[in-house]
Amino acid sequence: MLALLVIAATLQTTPPPPAAPRETQVPQAVEKTLANGLRVIVVPKPGIPLVAARIMIKAGAAADPEGRDGLAQLTATVVTKGTKTRTAEEIARGVEALGATMNASAGWDNSAIDVSVMSSNLSRVLEYVGDVVRNPTFPKEEVDRERTRAIDSLQVTLQEPSAIASLVASRLVFGDAPYAHNLEGLPSTVQKIRREDLVTFHRAHYRPENAVLVFSGDVSADAAFALAERVFGGWKRGKGTRETVAGGQDARPPRVVVIDMPEAGQSAVVVARRGIRRTDPAYMQAMVANAVLGGGYSSRLNQKIRIERGLSYGAESAFEARAQAGPFTASAQTKHESVPEVIGIITSEVKGLSENDVPQTELLPRKAALIGSFVFSLETTSGIVNRISALALHGLPLSDVNRYIANVQAVTAEDVRRFATSSLGGNDFSIVVAGNAKEFIEPLRKQFEDVEVIGLGDLDLMSSRLRVRLKKE
Amino acid sequence: MKRLALLFLFVTATARGATSIPPIEYRHRVLANGLEVYAVQDRSTPTVAIQVWYRVGGKHDPEGRSGFAHLFEHIMFKSTKNMPSEMLDRLTEDVGGWNNAATYDDMTAYYEVVPSNYLETLLWAEGERMGALTVDEPTFASERDVVKEEYRYRVLAPPYGMLLESIPHDSFTKHPYRRGVIGDIAQLDAATLEDVRAFHATFYRPDNAVLIVAGDFDQQQLDAWVDKYLGAIAKPDAAVPRVNVEEPARTEEKRVTEHGANVPLPAIALTWLAPRAADEDAVPLSVVTTILSEGESSRLREKLVRGDVAQDVFAQGDLREDLGLFAIVSIMATGHEPAQAEKLIRDELAALAAKPVSAAELEKAKNLMLTSELRDRETSNGKAFDLGEAIVVDHDANSVNTDLARLQAITAADIQRVVKKYLIDGKPVVITYTEGK
Repeated sequence: MLALLVIAATLQTTPPPPAAPRETQVPQAVEKTLANGLRVIVVPKPGIPLVAARIMIKAGAAADPEGRDGLAQLTATVVTKGTKTRTAEEIARGVEALGATMNASAGWDNSAIDVSVMSSNLSRVLEYVGDVVRNPTFPKEEVDRERTRAIDSLQVTLQEPSAIASLVASRLVFGDAPYAHNLEGLPSTVQKIRREDLVTFHRAHYRPENAVLVFSGDVSADAAFALAERVFGGWKRGKGTRETVAGGQDARPPRVVVIDMPEAGQSAVVVARRGIRRTDPAYMQAMVANAVLGGGYSSRLNQKIRIERGLSYGAESAFEARAQAGPFTASAQTKHESVPEVIGIITSEVKGLSENDVPQTELLPRKAALIGSFVFSLETTSGIVNRISALALHGLPLSDVNRYIANVQAVTAEDVRRFATSSLGGNDFSIVVAGNAKEFIEPLRKQFEDVEVIGLGDLDLMSSRLRVRLKKE
Repeated sequence: MKRLALLFLFVTATARGATSIPPIEYRHRVLANGLEVYAVQDRSTPTVAIQVWYRVGGKHDPEGRSGFAHLFEHIMFKSTKNMPSEMLDRLTEDVGGWNNAATYDDMTAYYEVVPSNYLETLLWAEGERMGALTVDEPTFASERDVVKEEYRYRVLAPPYGMLLESIPHDSFTKHPYRRGVIGDIAQLDAATLEDVRAFHATFYRPDNAVLIVAGDFDQQQLDAWVDKYLGAIAKPDAAVPRVNVEEPARTEEKRVTEHGANVPLPAIALTWLAPRAADEDAVPLSVVTTILSEGESSRLREKLVRGDVAQDVFAQGDLREDLGLFAIVSIMATGHEPAQAEKLIRDELAALAAKPVSAAELEKAKNLMLTSELRDRETSNGKAFDLGEAIVVDHDANSVNTDLARLQAITAADIQRVVKKYLIDGKPVVITYTEGK
């Protein structure tokens, strides 16, 4: 018997083909809007006794006022640090006693408070969420503490080559428009933020008609709607009009910039330009084009840079599709002396996408990979909340989640090339390197005559000039 | 309003008692060649997770080849007799699945999650790389470069990478755990293709592996495929080498200073030797880590972070197969010195040993741990991972279920006892970390 099996195994020199596939079930969202304008969305997912919930405010770092970079993020952090009836300690202890986690954070176009909790404790944890969103008091000592923590955390971030390269890239792509700044701000801007700024930001944006409440997990739609009504039904609409925010205007001519960090353990390379907004009709083409270029392990960038040449632990590209056109970036970290080679590969692969049709033998598997990551993102309650709230944020139909697979499948090689020609063609790319310049600057100058080198100590991230202006005596 | 609040209390009190985590139900069998097979069926979605755990990790690195087990893990994605390099990606990513692997001190885990109609294909592929790995020199050299970039990415580029890397080196004196998993660039450079062949022959064999399949499958069909593709791989005659090094007990405190580049804020790490994962003290110690640093209301976060002394702090009970390491790591806030954090940490441990935690604090820790366990179990891959750890590190598959019952039974006295035994009576290694070379 064993001998026969050995023969069978050695005869099997090609992989056994797949069986017939089973259909993937994508969850259905149901929604209602409360009288005060709060939109409530529920995606029931029975099974594990767990629920993820998010209250999303449709304003984020793009709404940071001039000179107050980091305000949306700091506001979200301090919202959970004290209400009219509870101290910061009481909130943290109360939420955690329920076994729940509560995280508050800001994105570019939204702020959010997320909870994950066993379903039996959902109603109690939502009471806390309602309280912090509706009744925060922004106690002065909490603002002071979180401001200091934010600055300390920025000090750490600003020592990492990848963070420096990506912040410089944002500045180069967006000039002085809101998307150009750091989402968490800089030590100098966060230092200027006062308690009153948080109060004003909260009053302007944290309003029921500007918010969406999303549930997913072991909860029925009726139960979630009733809970939403009980906790948020009495939340009053805001007064006055909200300012609208344009985050991504002001595209700039491309530059090649090296930030010199002689002690850095590795160099970070970012190639960037303006990308697309989330509601762009070409969004799906962009996602497929990116899946070919730099989304996922077997994409072209990782294939050439990591798999074929061993130049990096990983190379990737991404479109950050925001309310306004966000950045497109292609990036990798590599040893200092490999920087010119990595830049050469990235620029040539980006260009290749608009020069030749992607062969079917490549396009089909890259689309399958994109669909696969979509399907896996719906396996968890928090993954579902992410997908659904992104659609709600950008005013897209929630049924898009049920059309996603078909929409990916409909993208053709010609679509990809047309999209790449219009959105990734030409030489509109800025290139940023953060690393030990003396190891690569000579060959890099041969590639790009006009490369600018700025020492980390002379870097001014507040302006697109990038260089600290020398004070006149 | 008051009445309503009371009502909620009652409801949740009842519900909390009723919230039980469904056990992970598994089927277990051992093939004639020694391969252990575990199957966890869940047909709710058409996906399946396939994991192969080999009982070989960083502690088995050959002498002078630190980082070898991890380098080898990368090589396992290269060619086999019937698969060209990266074919595993073709069989996973290209059909809407994914794959990855991780090397630990004690083991190396390979995993794939795929649409369930590809289960047979992946079992064939796992059989290929267990039985017929073939690698050439250029592929080996290129992948070694990738691993060196991974070292730069994890250890050299982040400001606190070198601190985390130094913890095992400074904490163990004899046990190979002291070498860590990722190795160093000089020893990676010394590795040869011959090392790869020898390592595969020594450790990558059916009687040193555990196959876990979780998700959508038919049990009979699974059994037949496993027999066909993995049952025929021969078991070598030689015994698998085991690590039998005893780490001596610490007799005194040790203080060391470590440095890294671009370190804006100093940091401190305190470590204590802890029991192995299978020890009965493992579960109470994991509750201790939760009480100390899980959530904003945990003791160390309240004292150090809300006390404005530290930017960050975390406690970690890294309980391994042979013995464990309990560590508390803190990055200071601007203007504060590691000595301040050390005093607060030691005071808090003394308080935890001196006075029993309240029922509410204990209940909070248990609820946090149970909810986190629920999140692990949302996916088939998560369930398979929990099971794999129980099998390989705890040497008891069923501990994946019984540990939850043990967690529920932990008392305040258990907490006091383990804190005193390991963290008060045990001798710490204290590592301070600042900028420098």
